[in-house]
Formats: sequence, structure tokens, C-alpha cells
Amino acid sequence: MPANKALKRRRGLISRKALPYVLSLPALIVCIGILIPFFTAVFYSLQRYRLSQPWARKMNWGENYLNFLSDPGFWSTLKVSLSYAVLTVGLELLFGLGIALLLRKRNRVNNFVSILLLLPLMTAPALAALMFKLMTNPGFGILSYFLTLIGIDDFRWGASPSSALFTVVLVDIWVYTPFIMILLLAGLRSLPTQPFEAAALDGVPRIQQFFRITLPMLTPYILTATLFRLLESIQQFDIIYAMTQGGPGDTLTVFQVEAYLNFFQSTNVGRSAALLMILWAITFVISNIFIKNWLRLRERARGEA
Amino acid sequence: MEHSSILEKVLRGIALCLVITFFMFPILWIVLMSFQTNETILRVPPSFIFEPTLANYKAMFTGKLETSAASLEIHFLRNLGNSVLLSVGAVSLSLLLGVPAAYAFARHKFKGSEDIAFTLLSFRFAPPLLVLLPLSLYFQKIGLADTYIGLIWVYQLICLPLILWIVRGYFEDISPDIEYAYRIAGHSWFSTFRKIALPLAGPGIAAAGLLAFIFAWNNFIFALVLASADKQPVTVGALAFVTASGIQYGQIAAAVVMSIAPTLALALYAQKYLVEGLSLGAVKG
Amino acid sequence: MSHLQLKSLTKKYKKDTVVDAVNLSVNEAETLVLFGPSGAGKTVLLRLIAGVVEPDAGTVEIDQEDMTEVEAEHRGLGMAFQNFALFPHMSAFENIASPLRAAKLNKNDLKERVGDVARLLKIEHVLSHMPRALSNGQKQRTALARALVGEPPILLLDDPLRNVDAKLRFEMRLELPSLLRGRGTTVIYVTQDYKEAMALGDHIAVLVDGRVVQHGSPEDIYLRPANLEIARLFGDPVINRFEVNPVAEGENVSVALSGIELPLHGAEPSLSGTACVLGIRPEYVSFVPENVPGSIPVNVEAETPINEKIITLAKTTGGRELLVSRPARTNGPDSGNAFVTIKPGSGLLFKQSSGELLHGIVNTQVTEAVA
Repeated sequence: MPANKALKRRRGLISRKALPYVLSLPALIVCIGILIPFFTAVFYSLQRYRLSQPWARKMNWGENYLNFLSDPGFWSTLKVSLSYAVLTVGLELLFGLGIALLLRKRNRVNNFVSILLLLPLMTAPALAALMFKLMTNPGFGILSYFLTLIGIDDFRWGASPSSALFTVVLVDIWVYTPFIMILLLAGLRSLPTQPFEAAALDGVPRIQQFFRITLPMLTPYILTATLFRLLESIQQFDIIYAMTQGGPGDTLTVFQVEAYLNFFQSTNVGRSAALLMILWAITFVISNIFIKNWLRLRERARGEA
Repeated sequence: MEHSSILEKVLRGIALCLVITFFMFPILWIVLMSFQTNETILRVPPSFIFEPTLANYKAMFTGKLETSAASLEIHFLRNLGNSVLLSVGAVSLSLLLGVPAAYAFARHKFKGSEDIAFTLLSFRFAPPLLVLLPLSLYFQKIGLADTYIGLIWVYQLICLPLILWIVRGYFEDISPDIEYAYRIAGHSWFSTFRKIALPLAGPGIAAAGLLAFIFAWNNFIFALVLASADKQPVTVGALAFVTASGIQYGQIAAAVVMSIAPTLALALYAQKYLVEGLSLGAVKG
Repeated sequence: MSHLQLKSLTKKYKKDTVVDAVNLSVNEAETLVLFGPSGAGKTVLLRLIAGVVEPDAGTVEIDQEDMTEVEAEHRGLGMAFQNFALFPHMSAFENIASPLRAAKLNKNDLKERVGDVARLLKIEHVLSHMPRALSNGQKQRTALARALVGEPPILLLDDPLRNVDAKLRFEMRLELPSLLRGRGTTVIYVTQDYKEAMALGDHIAVLVDGRVVQHGSPEDIYLRPANLEIARLFGDPVINRFEVNPVAEGENVSVALSGIELPLHGAEPSLSGTACVLGIRPEYVSFVPENVPGSIPVNVEAETPINEKIITLAKTTGGRELLVSRPARTNGPDSGNAFVTIKPGSGLLFKQSSGELLHGIVNTQVTEAVA
């Protein structure tokens, strides 16, 4: 094109400087959309507020929180939530790592199995709980039947306080182990081969190779997976609510389930909000650790690319 | 390091079988159950071999359930429709809003971009009820309670951060020189976005959209808190099924199968995208 | 066709001033080479001219018209990138056609012009290939074709030969001048290779830390570099540097090198006492058969042939290292003791503290020594 003397000088519909802001406006709106209810919740947590007694609503500042200290219900909630989180994440890490090691080599069988293992992860946790509920039905449940085959006749799964935790943890393991497996498998497959080849040449036994080379190099992935799952586990709602609604009694009243029941059953907005704030504080601390660690991993991956 | 003994190979095989069995069994079992009549289900010991029936599925589709006692109305198809509407709507909206925003974040490091990104990211991990419970009260006040629009809007809480998180990384991976070259050749920034950035980030956008759809479909708590019976998606609907009177286990099984079928099918069809989105989304961002 | 002028062009990234009040002007059909080490701001400068990056201050004028506010797509320039920047999802043909498509040229004319340019750059046979199927050389030619096809009045070339292998680089360095000169295009060419700069540029602007440190013809820069750093960058092998202290005797100034007195004709007596660095290019140092008056005794340590020269590393009796360059296939000592002389008037005197040139080559024809 020969030099065009009639060069346009338009700046376009949107000036260059304003463009980025316009594009991210919706994200900003969603941000605000989250922050408003959040601060409302903070506000509620400092109130004595029951929907069923709107006239009695008043600020009681930190009283909700102080009451928790002497409330056995709160400690029970804390204890169950932590047990659930530790059990699920710990066991899922173990199994996930094991399966990832099993599937480490790239071959047809392993790839096929990896794909199959995606399926539990893609199942809605609430529906997975439902599936297990059917399978553990005392009357016709297949799992109950299997137990009778080995002599355990009266295992009540989710209906009994002693086995309810076990049951929901089982469902969680079924749904979420594949997630850890995928992460760790990606990590395993991205490890450089030279250290292993060198170790093999030196005659280092495989088990030692695992503990001395594999595990340390996998640490960032393990950490990422752990923190990610920890964050989700301590807030678990779907599986527990779908399985037992927090029961039997109050054996499974983890944070979010308890908050839900407080809000909808007891209409105790204040307590519910305070409970959620404590949960949020816990997740905030963990997620900050996670984000820092994840950013570091990302920088490393970028640097090697 | 290829010196595994026969014993090792056998152990591996056994381990693999155990793993596959554990993870596949519940799905297979529920599928089997959906083809069984109530009598077959209640029979002890449970049978793997039986006469299959389509009655359960028929009941889902026709909306009528004939029992010996009475005839019940089932509105499960409506739940399915709600799921489709909500998930597709939510993902579409979040792609529409999120992809340009991801582009802006990737290309223009402007003041506040890191803050917005960080806020969205940190709230990804915050307890949903913290936002949902006050929101349910607000929604009642502003009339958005129990509306599709209100729900799709709230679903953005799940979908938008995911899209932003994953797609931004893909845009950042495109060398700016390529976009410069296109612009210098005479194309506007919008044309550059459409013809260069979007196609090159395509796989990332697909992965993000797919994941967002699955998360939206599988969501339980949002709909539980904010939707009433006629707008509930399958996750809540299937559970309501169980507590309704006159439960027929075969139908519940059929309902569950129909509820998980779409996500499972998507997962199998697009598993490459999914794995990339999941693992790289977590690692690469 | 175009007269390009940059006035006080400035660009900052956070606290860093990457381009610092740059003033440059290029006349029509001229080639200006932007030369400098990496990080000097050359690429950013090109991007500012192209319009894909906005300056913090200053203006870009084309044909005396202020283009600073004009969007890149309306400036009508052509640019080729160091990393080729080909559109990976389009064929070579489509890559080249891109500017023509933006101008909405009709199908037949478009096909013809793409074909013409492809023929010129000898890539006709790969037009239908995707970029990943092209070799680096072919990618570079495609990138050049894309820049040229629109017959832009101004062409911006960002070190296009950098990522191309040595042999191809040499070939293209021969082809480029004819390609560019023939079209009467104004060219801004960025490079870190001084030989390329001298071969291609009508004039050269040396950029260091975002500032234009020297601007002149290739000979100017080679013979009268504004400071020591430019003298170092512009020359291969690198210029010999000796710390010296000029001594004045009346009107005559001289420096001592290994006990030999070297007169600096025309130097100011006020230089006496200033700590200086004497720069002598290896090609101005030559071996002499015996102890000629005024020759410097050295000990030859190593010798290596490079391209069309033979480089000798020697050490003076005072322990200073010295590089000597002579054309290939000529004779010279490869070890042991030897003597060297320095061509009269070939010394460059720099102030040690600031590196600026105090006294340089005057009235000497040295074109035969230029690489």
C-alpha cells in the first residue's frame, strides 16, 4: 500500500487506555458481588439475630464467638471437621500416590485406566453420596451384603454414630482420590530421567530411589494437592449433607453443615454467620499458604519452559 | 530400570484390578440397579444376573410412576432441564465475561488487576455458604430469589474464577510479537483478539469451559440454598426423590444414572482437555 | 518515500527508563541501523515507532505528520521480528497475505503480489506449508515477505538474522541490501552485530541504556567512536586497551607503552596528567621482522585463525596483553619473542573515568582495515 496521505487518526470506539478496564468490568462486578454478602456476613456474625425473632435482633459484638469457647457443640463441630479433613486428605494422598506410581509408565493399559479413573471425579459428590447410600442400605445394599459374606452382620454404615464418619470418608475417598492421582501423575511424568538413570547405574535399590529422589522432587506437587484438598475437605458439605444431613444426631455436623442447619432449621443467623467466619479464617490462612506455594511452582514451570 | 520380576508384574496386575474394581464398581452397580425392578433389587442375595427392565427409565420420561398402591407424578425431567439450562447458561455467561477479562489481565498489567485476580482467587477457596446465606436474604429483597437469572448469576461465583484462572495463562503464553505482527499488518485490536488470540488460546478456553460446565452441573449447595422445587437441578432433585413418599429404588437409580451420564460422557469424550485443565490449571494457572 | 522523525521519545517500565528522550531522523530511502548491546532499548524503540506500544513522552512523526496518537494498524509500516512471529495457525501464504487482506485487496491481485514477493525471497515452494513445517531460514524469509508485501514506505527490521544459522546469515546479509535498496524503502534495522551494521547502514545510531550515544556514518563510528564502550562493541577482535598517562613536553604529548614513547600528534597538552585509556585496534598492530626503532618487544602466547584473519595473543614485557590481527595466509611469528609496531595515528585516547573519546584518529585512511 503506497503511503496513504489520508491516514486515519481515529482512536477507535474505546480509547486504548480505557480498554483493559472495560474488558475486566464484569470480573470487577463479580468481585463486588462477592464482597457485599461477605461483609454482610461479617456484620451478622456480630449480632444476635434469629429470623424467627426479628424483634430481638441486636448487636452483641463478639459474644457469638465467645460463646463458642464454652459451647460443646462448637468443639464437636471443630473436632469432626478436622478429623474429616485429616482422614480424607491423608488417605487420599496415600492412595493417590500409590496409584500414580502404579500408572507411571505411559502405555495403553495405564492410559486407559487413567481415563477410567476420571469418572468418579466427574460425579457430583452429592450424587456419589446417594449412590453409596443405596449401596449401604441395610436391606438390599450390595456393600452390606458383602459384609455379611465375611461375617459382619450388623454394620450400619451411615446410620450408626460409630461408623458414620467412616462411611462419608469412604465416599470422599472414592470421589477425590483420582484428583490427587492426576496431579501426582502429571508431576511424576514431568520429573527428569537423569537422576534415576544415574541412580540405577549406581545400583541404588528402587525403594531408596523412591524415598531419596522421587519423593523430594514430587514435594511441590504433593504440597499443592494437599493444600487444595485440605481447603475443600474442611468445608465439605455435599457428601455429608446428602448422606446423613449431619446425623445421626450431631456426629457429622461439620462447619458448613452446622451453619446450614443453624440457618435453615434453627433460623439462627448470628451463630451461623459466626461459625462461617471462623471457617473462613481457617481457609484464608491455608489458601494464602497455598497461593504462595502455587505461584512458586508456576514460576518454576515457566522458567523451565 | 526394566527388571521387574514376574512376582512384581503379578502384584501390579492385582493392584490394578483392585483399583479399577473399587472405582468402577459403584457406577456399574447403579447402572445395573437402574434396569432392575423393585423386586429384583430387594431380593437377597443381590443378583448380577436378572431380567432387565426399562420401566424405570420409562417412568422418568413419561413422568408417571405406576405402583401397586397409586400413580405418582415424577418431575425428574424438569430437574434435568433445569440442570441443562443452569449449566449451559452459567458457562456461556462466564465465557462471555471471563475470556475478554482474562485477555485484559494477560495483556495489560494495569493497576488493580492483580488485586482483582487475587480477590477472585482467594474467594474460590472460601466457604460458599458464607456468601450464599446472606445472598439468599438479599435475593428475597430484590426479587431475584428462585429465578433462573439469579441462579445463573450466582453460578458465576464458581465459573468465572475458573475461567479467568485457566484462560489467562493460555493468553499469556501467546508471544506478544505475534499479536504485534498482526496489528502492524493493519488489523484492529478486536480483529487481533478474534483472529489470533482466541484461536491460539482455543484449547485452554475449551478446557476451562468444560471444567466450568462440569462444576456447575455437579453443584449442589448453591441450588439447595437458592432454588425452589421447580427450579432445582438434578443434584438436589435426585436427593429430594429419596425423601419423597413411595420411593422406588429402581427409579432412584435411574435418576442417578441420568444425572451423572452427561458429565461422565463429557469426561470420556474430552478427557484430554480435562486432564490438561485440571493439572495445568492447578500447576500452571 | 518517507521521512521519519523521533522527538524526545521516552518509555518507562515501572521505574526503568527503557527509552530515554531519543531524537532521531531518517531520510527517505535511507537505512538507519540501530546498534547496541542487548537491553539497550532497540526493540522497544521499534515498537514505539510501529505504534504497538505507547510512549510516555515524545512524538513519532512520519512525513512531518504527528503519528503518536495513530493506532498501529493505521500507520502503514512493515515489520519483521527476531523470533519471526509468524501466525502458527495460518499457512505461509496466509501469513504473507495478512497485510493485503487487511487492506481488503481483491483475490487475484492478492495472489499475484504474494507470489511475487515469495519468488523474490525464494520461498514459493513452501507457501502452502504451516510455520511449524518450515526451517528457520524459511520462517525468516516468510517473515520478511510479510513485511515487504504491502510495499510499506517504512520497514522496521528487528535483528531478523539473529536466529538464523551462520551460513544462511551470511547469504542473507548479501541479499538484503539489494532487496532493500531496490525498493526505495526507508529502513530501520536493529542489530547487535557490528559487521551487519556497517554493511547495511547508511548511518548508524548507537543505543546504550535507552539513549543515543552516537549517531553517524559507519566510518565515523568505527574511526571515531564516542566512547570506549562503542569502540569495544564496534570491532572484532575487540580493541586493545592500555591504561596510560599522557605526558606533555611543550606542545608535544606522548604516552609510554612498554617503555616506548608514542607521540600523539595534535593532542592537547592539557591532557597531561589525566588518567587515560589508549585504544589500539588489533589490525593496526603489526609484527616487524626485527627490533626496528619504536617497536615494542612482546612474547607470543597463542595464535588462532578466525575467518579471514589470524589473531595472535601476545604479552608485552610489562605483562600487558595485546591482540594482533593480520590477514590469513600471511606470515608471522607463532611463538617466542617478537616485535610489533603500531600504525601511526591509529590510537584512540579515552578518558579513563568517563570513557569518552579525547583524541582519535585524524586524517588517516583506514578503509582497507575495515572488516
